[in-house]
Amino acid sequence: MPFAGNSLTLNEAPPGFSDEQLAKARAGDTAALASLIQAHQRSVYSLALRLLGSRELAEDLTQEVFMQLNGNLKSIASNTHLLFWLRKVTSNRAIDQLRRRSRIEMTPLDNEILFTSGADGSDPLLQRHLQQLLLELSPPARAVLLLRYQEDLDPVDIAQTLEMPINTVKSHLKRSLEILRQRTPDPERSRCEDKSI
Amino acid sequence: MRNHILRIFFALMAPTLVWAAPNPRLALPEFSALAQKATESVTITLDAALLTMAGRFLNGNDPQDAATKEILKGLQGIYVRSYTFDKDAAYQQSDIDAVRNQLSAPGWNRLVETRSRKSQANVDIYIMVANNQATGLALIASEPRQFTIVNIVGAIDLDKLHKLEGQFGVPKLDIDAPKAPTPSIKK
Amino acid sequence: MSEDLESQLRAALTPVAPRAEFTQRLIARVTADKGTEPNARGIRRRSPRATAWWLSASMAASLLIAVGVQHYRQERREAERGLEARREVIEALRMTSQKLNLAYEVIKDQSSLPAEDKPGV
Repeated sequence: MPFAGNSLTLNEAPPGFSDEQLAKARAGDTAALASLIQAHQRSVYSLALRLLGSRELAEDLTQEVFMQLNGNLKSIASNTHLLFWLRKVTSNRAIDQLRRRSRIEMTPLDNEILFTSGADGSDPLLQRHLQQLLLELSPPARAVLLLRYQEDLDPVDIAQTLEMPINTVKSHLKRSLEILRQRTPDPERSRCEDKSI
Repeated sequence: MRNHILRIFFALMAPTLVWAAPNPRLALPEFSALAQKATESVTITLDAALLTMAGRFLNGNDPQDAATKEILKGLQGIYVRSYTFDKDAAYQQSDIDAVRNQLSAPGWNRLVETRSRKSQANVDIYIMVANNQATGLALIASEPRQFTIVNIVGAIDLDKLHKLEGQFGVPKLDIDAPKAPTPSIKK
Repeated sequence: MSEDLESQLRAALTPVAPRAEFTQRLIARVTADKGTEPNARGIRRRSPRATAWWLSASMAASLLIAVGVQHYRQERREAERGLEARREVIEALRMTSQKLNLAYEVIKDQSSLPAEDKPGV
């Protein structure tokens, strides 16, 4: 479930972007299109950034995704469809890019990007560590984890977004969490099953 | 008038004279009937173009390929017919006579004729020579359950053929000028 | 523990905003890209010049691909024929040498026989 604080509830349309605005954007309203970009760029950019591990590549991919969206707006039926489309295209294009490149130059992510406010009691150093560990996972596993914990999708939605069998999604989640658990230094942590799977 | 007649005579004779030039290429039958009876048959027809193509795929670094490449130089054709049967006397000598008869034409010289009572194998080797150079080779080997005809057209280098020993198991045949009917064997 | 890790993950993966200048640039570029807006039926509409260019480029690319594929197939066929010819050459010479060897063996056997047992050669 989405955590409290300044987070976005990403299974709903971002605040300030309604179905009416979507309809306007589809009709060619430039202002509505700009609002659409404002509302969704954070999610798309974060997904791209954490998949590709590079700010430059993330910006390029974000631009490509919205350019492609602009050409396909007429086929977007609703805000729910829009969310699904954006996540699907961003994830799949990022995974394709990672497959094509044998090694992507990972520029160190800026501190202000890695660290969160910690207002909810989270550990900034641990978060940075988790973000780094994420980059060591395979692209599909990374995408599954991001869609689960950044986008808050359930495994069925993840499977649809990535066009992956549901069991593969669950397998990625289980293994990835196991890896993160093992490599996260905390002797007081005890092993337990992930109830969300 | 007489010169005119002579000119006409030679003009008419010219094609015949051309036809009389020895041709190292034998007319090999298809042996269709024998092929049906045979348990194994080999038909190889390699003209100059195919030999050139084959040469491009021979690896000069491999001893066998390198020796083969040497042999191919100057060749215009290799033709093989070989049939193996599952019982004795499945073919008749008369089946091979059509080929053997061609080797009695001018130009062909019998180099070797062997008859073995022990193995019942007969091997005849013929060479065609022009300007002191071999221009064709014909080999007919008949055994109780197999016969093989090989016709090689072109400038065969007998030294190179001789040097195939060790590559294809060719024995050392002391093949001198092709006028001696009985070759001597070096041991 | 698992919940703690999961909540830490969610916190670590809070969406982050791109740079402000990037956002401005992005909006400007996307909203300016009217040339590829789809029409009412959702079909991508291009200018006639762009269409002609794409058509020519597609035809040229298709032609190149077809020529390339044809050339590849021809080379492959030739390679197969060449390798087959090589195989046949080696087989023919092997058979020739085998029969020459046979002649050699016969002659060798005969030369070792007493004179009265040698067949006329």
